[in-house]
Amino acid sequence: MARIEVVMPQMGESIAEGTIVKWHKKVGDKVKKDETLLEISTDKVDSEIPSPAAGVLAEIVIPEQKTVAVRTIIAYLETEGGVVTAEPAKPTANPLAEAPKPVAATVVPPVVTAVKPLAAPASGRFYSPLVLNIAREEGVAMTELELIPGTGDGGRVSKKDILAYVVAKKSGAVAAPAATPALKAAPVGIVAKPVDVPELRAKYPAPNFEILQMSNVLQKMAEHMVKSVQTSPHVAAIHEVDMTNVAKHRSAHAVEFEKKEGFKLTFTPYIVDAVAKAIKKYPLINTSIEGDKIIKKNFTNIGIAVAAENGLIVPVIKNAEEKNFLGLARAVNDLATRTRTKKLTPDDIQGGTFTISNYGVFGTLIGTPIINQPQVAILGTGAIKKRVAVIDDAIAIRSIAYFTLSFDHRIVDGALGGMFLEEIVQYLQNFDMNLKF
Amino acid sequence: MATMTYIEALSKGMWEEMERDRSVFLIGEDIGAYGGAFKATKGFQQHFGEERVIDATLSEAAIIGAATGAAVVGMRPIAEMQFADFVTCGFNQIVTNAAKTHYRWNLPVPMVVRLPSGGYIHGGPYHSTNPEGWFFHVPGLKIVAPSTPYDAKGLMKAAVRDNNPVLYFEYKYLYRRIKGEVPDEDYSIEIGKGDVKREGSDIVIFTYGSTVHHSLEAAEILSKEDGVETMVVDLRTLLPLDKELIINSAKSTGKVLIVHEDTLTGGIGAEIAALISENAFKFLDAPIRRVASLDTPVPFAPPLEEYFLPDTNKIVKALRELSSF
Amino acid sequence: MTMQAAQEKVSNIHSSVTLSNTERLELYYYLRLTRECDNAILRLYKQGKIVGGAYTGYGNEATAVGSAYALENHDYLFPMHRDLGAHLVKGQTLKNIFLQQLARRDSLTRGRDGTGHYADPSLKIYGNVSHLAAMIPMAVGVALAARMRKENAVVMNYIGDGGCNVGDFHEGLNMAAVMKLPFILIIENNQFAYSTPNTKQFAAQKLSDRALGYGIPGFTVDGTNIIKVYEVCKEAVDRARRGAGPTLIETITMRMHGHSASDDASYVPKGMVEEWKKKDPVEKFERILTNDRVLNESNKKEMEEKMAAEIEEAMQFALDNPYPAGEDAAEGVYAP
Repeated sequence: MARIEVVMPQMGESIAEGTIVKWHKKVGDKVKKDETLLEISTDKVDSEIPSPAAGVLAEIVIPEQKTVAVRTIIAYLETEGGVVTAEPAKPTANPLAEAPKPVAATVVPPVVTAVKPLAAPASGRFYSPLVLNIAREEGVAMTELELIPGTGDGGRVSKKDILAYVVAKKSGAVAAPAATPALKAAPVGIVAKPVDVPELRAKYPAPNFEILQMSNVLQKMAEHMVKSVQTSPHVAAIHEVDMTNVAKHRSAHAVEFEKKEGFKLTFTPYIVDAVAKAIKKYPLINTSIEGDKIIKKNFTNIGIAVAAENGLIVPVIKNAEEKNFLGLARAVNDLATRTRTKKLTPDDIQGGTFTISNYGVFGTLIGTPIINQPQVAILGTGAIKKRVAVIDDAIAIRSIAYFTLSFDHRIVDGALGGMFLEEIVQYLQNFDMNLKF
Repeated sequence: MATMTYIEALSKGMWEEMERDRSVFLIGEDIGAYGGAFKATKGFQQHFGEERVIDATLSEAAIIGAATGAAVVGMRPIAEMQFADFVTCGFNQIVTNAAKTHYRWNLPVPMVVRLPSGGYIHGGPYHSTNPEGWFFHVPGLKIVAPSTPYDAKGLMKAAVRDNNPVLYFEYKYLYRRIKGEVPDEDYSIEIGKGDVKREGSDIVIFTYGSTVHHSLEAAEILSKEDGVETMVVDLRTLLPLDKELIINSAKSTGKVLIVHEDTLTGGIGAEIAALISENAFKFLDAPIRRVASLDTPVPFAPPLEEYFLPDTNKIVKALRELSSF
Repeated sequence: MTMQAAQEKVSNIHSSVTLSNTERLELYYYLRLTRECDNAILRLYKQGKIVGGAYTGYGNEATAVGSAYALENHDYLFPMHRDLGAHLVKGQTLKNIFLQQLARRDSLTRGRDGTGHYADPSLKIYGNVSHLAAMIPMAVGVALAARMRKENAVVMNYIGDGGCNVGDFHEGLNMAAVMKLPFILIIENNQFAYSTPNTKQFAAQKLSDRALGYGIPGFTVDGTNIIKVYEVCKEAVDRARRGAGPTLIETITMRMHGHSASDDASYVPKGMVEEWKKKDPVEKFERILTNDRVLNESNKKEMEEKMAAEIEEAMQFALDNPYPAGEDAAEGVYAP
C-alpha cells in the first residue's frame, strides 16, 4: 500500500486558489486512475479533476465548498502495491553539468574583507572609502587622520595626501598623535518617558521643567546603589596598566579572528581572562557576606556592566574559570549581541560573583565604581591612551590605562585588594604573545 | 601592415571571413549591387555572387529573422542594418529568437548584426542613435563596439567566428575619419576583453566606440596642462563586460570617469558604476562620474547636436573636477 | 447536414484519395495518437503535475497530421502550439513530448522551456516561440540556408488566424516570395485567436487571398478533412521542391477547446462547438475508414490498446525523470 497526495491543481498561470465544488467519491470508495475524483472551481475555469492513481480514497483533507491555495494537499489515496509514481519530481544535479562552465551571467562576488572600522570623524570631515581604507591598512587612527591637511575639494584628504603622510610617518618626519583604541561604543543616556503628575507639575511648571518617569531598571539601579553604599565600606585602589602587549596581540589576530569566529575581537575577553585567573589565586575576592558568615563561591561568574538603552544592565559570564580565552571571547560576544538585540534571559543577569565596569568606552580615565551587591569587589577599567612611559630607563610610547578595584573593607583589606589588582595588571602587561586561538 | 580607414578595416574583416568560410553570407538592404549605404560591401556581390551577398527586401524583421534561422541550421550570416536606428523594426527577432535560442535549444546561433551607429554627423533623431543600451540588458547577446581600424577588423573576424548572436556596433563618425595600421595576416580580437588605450595612474576613463577618441584627446590635455595622468580603457566588448579589467583599473586609480555617446540614464555607464561600487568601493577616492549624451532624442541642428553629445571639452571638465576632488 | 449529405461528402473524398489503405490507417493512427496524447496532457494538468499551461490541438489534428505527412525526413518543420500531430508524424517520441510537457531534466530544452517550444535537429523540428509569427522570418531563413546548401529540402511553417496579423507574417512571406524560397506557410484558421473571433481579426474573405498580394499561390481547404489537407500540402511541397517558390495554405477548422486548459471559452456562441463537433476531424476520418472497411472493431481496438500502453509508458518515464537542479538555470546562456 502506498499513500498518494492529491493536490489542488493550478488551472492557469495567474490562478492562486481553487474551490472544491464536489467530491465525486467518499472516503473508502474505490477510484480508477484518471476517473473523475472531484470538481473544482477557480476564477478562470471550472473543471473535473481526474484521479492521479488507482486506489481507495483514504482521506478527504479539504471538504466541499472550501477554497484553498493551489498545490495544497486536498486528499490522500491508498494505492495497491508500493510503487508511487505520482510523487512530484525532486530536482537532482544534472550529471552533464558537473563541471560548470564560465557563464556570462556569473555574478562577481563583492570583495568583503573584515577590517576594524575606524572611529567616526569628530570633525564631520568627509573621507573617501579609499582614504579610510589606506588609513586602516597603514594604522592611521582617526585622530591622526583628522590632523592631516587636505588638498582636495573643500580641504578633503585625497589619496595623494594620505599616501604622502604615510611615507612621511614611516620615515619619521611626523609623529603619530596619541591614538585611542575604542573599546566598545555603547549607547549613552537613559531613556525615560515624560509623565504628567499634577502635584509635581505645580511645583515644577513647564516649559522650564520636565518630569520624567524612572524606568524599572533605573529604579532598581537607584535602590541597589544606595543599598550597596550603605552596606559596604568602599575602598578604591588604582593601578596603572600597560596594555601595549594586549593591543599588539589583538591587532595581530583581529582579522584572522573575525574571519574564523564571525565577530570582532575586543579588549574585554583579555580583561575577563585576567580577572578569572586572579580570582583563582585570590578566592576571597569571590565571596559574599551573610551576617558573620563568609560565603565562598567555588565558581566564578563575571558580570560585565553595560549601558543599555533604558539603564545599566549587567549580563553575567557563567563559570568563567572553566573557559579558555576563546570560550570567554565567545561568551562576551554572545552576551553583547543578546544585550543589543534585547534577547537576554533573566538567568543571564543573575548569579554574578564579581563585576567589571568598563567606563573607559566613554573616555573616562579613572573611576570609583560601586560594588554590585552581594559581591565584595568590582573592577573599573579606564580608557586606553598612548602615553610616554619609561621602560628600562628609556622613553617609549605605550598604551596605558588605569584600573580601579573598589572593594568591601569588611572582608577585603588593602593588602588583598592591592595584590589582587596587581595580579590582573601583571597578567595583562605580560600577556602571552604566543597565545593562539 | 597597411594603413586603412575604419570602414575599410571592418570591410576587409568581412571579406577575409567570406573567403575563409563558405557558410558566411551577407544579407541587408542595398548591400549588393549598390555596395551599401556607406559602401562597406562595395565589390562584394561582384566577387562573391548574388547568393552570398543578398539584397534583401526592406524588412529588418525578415533580415534578422532569416539570419537567425540560417544560423540555427549552421550558416554564419552577417546581417546589415542600414542605420542602427532601424534595428527597432527587428528588435523582436533579436531578443525573442536570436538571444534566447541557445539557452532554450542548446543550439549555437552564429550570426552578426552590423549596426552603423551614432552621431557627430548631423543625422537627426533617426540616423544618429546609439541603441546598444536596449540590448545590453538581454542575456544571450554579445555586443562589440570597436574604436580603431585594428579593432574593427579583429572584432569583425571574432564576431563572425563566435557561436552566438553578436551585435557589431560601428561608428559612422569614425568610418573615414580614423585611419590606422592593420596587419595583413589573419588575427582576431577576443570578445569580452577590453583594451588599455592609454596608461595613467590618477584617473581612469571607461569608454568605447567614438568617444574613445575624445577621451584620448582629453587625457593628453590633462597630462600636458595639469600633470594628471589618465588611463583610457576601451571596453571594445560591452557584453560580456571585461569585469576584471574594469575592477582592477578602478582599484589602481581610485577615480573613475565613464564616457559614452549613448544617453545617460540606464546606459552602460550605470552598470559599470554599480560593478565598481560592488567590487572596488574601498578603493574609490571620489564619486564615479559619467559623461554621456543628454536624455533626449538626438537633435538635428548642429548647435543642438553639439550640446547633446559628449566631446573633448566636456571630458576635460569632468576630469579636472575629479582631479581636484 | 443530413446523413445522406454526409455520405455524399464521404464518397466524394473517397473518390479523390490517392493514398493506400496502409497509409490512410497510418494517418488515422497519428490523428488518434494526437487526440489521446492531448487527453493525457489535460489529465496531468488537472492533476497538478503540469505547470504553466496546457494547450491542446482539438480540432486542428487534421491540419497538423495531414500537412506533416506530406514532408520528407530531410524537410524542416516549424510547427505551432496546436500541432502536436505534426511533431508525432515527423518522428518525435512520446517520451520526449511528455518530458517537455512536464519540464523535466532530460527534456529537449532541459526544463528551460515547455510544451512544443523545443528544437530537435535530428528530426528537423524547430518548435515555436509564444510570439508565433516571429517564427516566420526564422523559418524563411532556414529555407534560404537549405537552398544555399542545395539540400533540396522544404520548410513547413504554421500560424493561426490571429498570428497572421502580425508584421512578421508579411515581412517573412514577402521575403520568401521575392526569393522564391522552398517555404510553405499554413494558416490554421480555427475561428478564434484566444477569445477574439475572426470578424474582429481580419476583413478579408479568405486568409489565403493574401497570397495574391505576395505573388504566390494561395489555397483554402477544409481543415477537418485530413485527405484534403494532405493533398494540398503535398502539391505545395512538390512545388517548393522543384524551385517554384512558396505557397500559402489556409485550413478552416474550429478550436474545440479553450485557448488553454484554464480558459472556459465562454465567449464561443452557443451551439457552435456542437455544430463543429459533427465535423470533428478525428471522428470524421474514422467514419470514412470504417465505411471503407479499412478500420474495423478488431484493428481499432488493437490500435487503441497499443496507443494507451505507449502513452502510459512514456508518461511514467517522464514522471520518473527529475526536475533539473535549480543551479542549472545559470548555465548555457552562451554557446561555447
